[in-house]
Amino acid sequence: MVFSSITFLFRFLPIFMILYFAAPRRMKNIILFLGSLIFYAWGEPVYVLLMLFSTLSDYIHGRLIDKYRGKTAAKGLLISSIIINLGVLGFFKYSDFLIGTVNGLFGSSIPLLDLPLPIGISFYTFQTMSYTIDCYRGEAKVQKNILDFGVYVTMFPQLIAGPIVKYRDVEEQLHLRKPDITAISYGCCRFITGLAKKVLLANNLGLLWTEISGKNPSEITVLGAWLGAVAYAFQIYFDFSGYSDMAIGLGAMLGFHFPENFKYPYVARSITDFWRRWHISLSSWFREYVYIPLGGNRRGLPRQLLNILIVWMLTGIWHGAGWNFLLWGLWFALWLILEKLVLGRILKALPGVFGLMYTWLIVLVSWVFFAIESGAGALDYLYVMFGQGTAGLYDSPTLFLLLEYRVLLVLAAVAATPLVHLLAQALLHATGSVTVAIRRVLEKLIPAMLLLASVAYIVEASYNPFLYFRF
Amino acid sequence: MKLENDKLHAGMTVALFALVLLVFAVVDMAESDRLFSQTENRILAQRPKWSLESVLDGSYEREYENYATDQFVSRDTWVMLKTRMDILLQKKVIKGVYLAADGYLIEQHLPQEYDGELTDKRLDQLRQLTERYPQSLVMLAPTADNILTEKLPSHAVSYDQSRLMERVKGQIGEEHVIDLFPTLLEHREEYIYYRTDHHWTTLGAYYAYLEWARKVGYPPRDYDPQDLETVSDSFLGTLHSRINLPMEPDDIQIFPRTNRRSVKITYDFDRETSSYYEPSYLEDKNQYGYFLDDNHAFVEIETAYYADGKELFIIKDSYANSLIPILAPHYEKIYVLDLRYYNGSLFSLMDQYVTDDRVSVLVMYNCIHFLEDFSYR
Repeated sequence: MVFSSITFLFRFLPIFMILYFAAPRRMKNIILFLGSLIFYAWGEPVYVLLMLFSTLSDYIHGRLIDKYRGKTAAKGLLISSIIINLGVLGFFKYSDFLIGTVNGLFGSSIPLLDLPLPIGISFYTFQTMSYTIDCYRGEAKVQKNILDFGVYVTMFPQLIAGPIVKYRDVEEQLHLRKPDITAISYGCCRFITGLAKKVLLANNLGLLWTEISGKNPSEITVLGAWLGAVAYAFQIYFDFSGYSDMAIGLGAMLGFHFPENFKYPYVARSITDFWRRWHISLSSWFREYVYIPLGGNRRGLPRQLLNILIVWMLTGIWHGAGWNFLLWGLWFALWLILEKLVLGRILKALPGVFGLMYTWLIVLVSWVFFAIESGAGALDYLYVMFGQGTAGLYDSPTLFLLLEYRVLLVLAAVAATPLVHLLAQALLHATGSVTVAIRRVLEKLIPAMLLLASVAYIVEASYNPFLYFRF
Repeated sequence: MKLENDKLHAGMTVALFALVLLVFAVVDMAESDRLFSQTENRILAQRPKWSLESVLDGSYEREYENYATDQFVSRDTWVMLKTRMDILLQKKVIKGVYLAADGYLIEQHLPQEYDGELTDKRLDQLRQLTERYPQSLVMLAPTADNILTEKLPSHAVSYDQSRLMERVKGQIGEEHVIDLFPTLLEHREEYIYYRTDHHWTTLGAYYAYLEWARKVGYPPRDYDPQDLETVSDSFLGTLHSRINLPMEPDDIQIFPRTNRRSVKITYDFDRETSSYYEPSYLEDKNQYGYFLDDNHAFVEIETAYYADGKELFIIKDSYANSLIPILAPHYEKIYVLDLRYYNGSLFSLMDQYVTDDRVSVLVMYNCIHFLEDFSYR
């Protein structure tokens, strides 16, 4: 089930919330667990078994790691847990990619498995791994209650599109959550914000990208190509961060406190900065469980650069089983390494606007790789962006699209900055009685309007994609 | 005190959110389903039947989502809300319809959708037809986006139908072609296209008729646009349906003369009537169906005029429906074929009717329908 759907908003969510809040405290986890299974099974009924298997496997591994703590067996169990998780992920996500690559290299014709990718598998396997690893390291207590553990793995708010919640971040909340009306109210507003970002901004700008990228490259103008890339940049940001907002909001309603996943990445002044603001839960996962164990920056510069390369190859391939995603990761590794070596110091010396433009340029190019899966197609598109093999600088169709989307683009640009947030904060801390009264009205009126507007765009859904089926 | 206040207001926010979701959910589930949306002019998704198989492969869930969305409570209002927001966002094209100047809705036809191999195939079949029946004339009407260009939003792009006309002329010879561009462009300030529908008006059809008469060399009957009689002033057409905003409706007009004489019309070899017009449609949404009872595969018309035994075989789309009553007096019998509803062999059907030179052949489409629908076996 996806959040931006009638089934979720007007069937699942109301029924679930009534049951959840009506139930006595000791029943809440069982309702959350069963609700999450239904949420997942709606559309993926078979793979729910895979998720349950993964849950059971890591629950047992955790118990055993705890039992054999300090003995070599514990290490063996940790490795076994990681192998099972990566095995499941590898089998369902990367088999066909590997087979295709082998076939391509050796001219063999091993048949593809054609397995549909289980939704959210990359998110929940990473979550369960964080549990067994933390358990082994002694950074998280073993979870003896299988229901509490099941809730952690399957919890519907962040199940299908993150954020990747580390076990120790929610360890206590799994069995003790205090209902708090302010948190619930915050959760509602946060959820609606995310829904509006996804439905009003991402989906609509996605249409612009689809229209431009659907053309033959020779018919795209330079302006059109940039317009398309910007549209995609906004689409993926508002879609992805919108999902995270919805997850964080739903979590808050249930009494969970999930980590933030995005912090205005498009105001970043460098790629290093960008990755501190983009999909934070994934980069911090890789940082903690790959980069630092590999030695991080403690084993000299060459080793650090190698570690960066490894982490970003993995980051790339995490986003999808395809060469373009690997390339996408390597592209970032390249600039991160350059920034470590020289670029970072140069950027610091220059006015911030240069850093901003440089970051946008690198990121826009990266989205072309990311969005266009065939390498040749991505290259053709990039050529057009830089004036090669294009239909010209601009033409009437491009200008028409620019006019059609100008308001939406401006809104998106504003929404991608902390401006609205800062305004809200200023209003929140204002004390004049008139300002307070205005705030009281606005904090109800704006979410209500955004909710109704989003529902209208869902009901009249000409375009409402789920972008993470490859993650 | 402030803390208490904050809690109170937080509670109000939560209550508001819960209320919106709950009220719509309850009303939505209680409300009965509709089969058809008048405003959107389409059949809505119905409650899917579940089976173990369809649930397990996820198709039931997908169909359920379509169903829940299509049948969502007061869907029409949501659709209208969305359109209004699109307009607020300064969008000029909504669901393939330009919000043009002077209260016009004009259908969008993008070049990339109509250029290409399809055109070659259509032209090829058209050439075969005119070679077999040398008395054929081809009249392709440009759609509003090619004529009312001044009303389109700036930088709007349209498929250039005058280029299609040039290709048609090149393919089948100019002598077979009635080019409506000059006359319609000349009269573009007049009410020749409906503002809310993709058809031309009776006045538009009338100018086409004059052009046709010039081509075939008949003196045109003395219709006077001053005499046009308004039979409906509440026509909200197909383009309006897509946008679904309050708009000033169109008028449907006829030349009174065309309705004076009783004719004999046989629809699909079955139902007989005595008028070109079906007033029952004027009560309904699809008012253009007033002309020749909407769409039929085959219509036979005995005009009750004396025309020296001349007959006409028309292969056409709905644009012709408002033209046929005007040009009817020039023929004793008219056979009207709509290829969309006819699966048999075209030539074997035509050979039954087009027996000698007294029977003329007319291909009458708008350029877009021609590209979309003109194909035969």
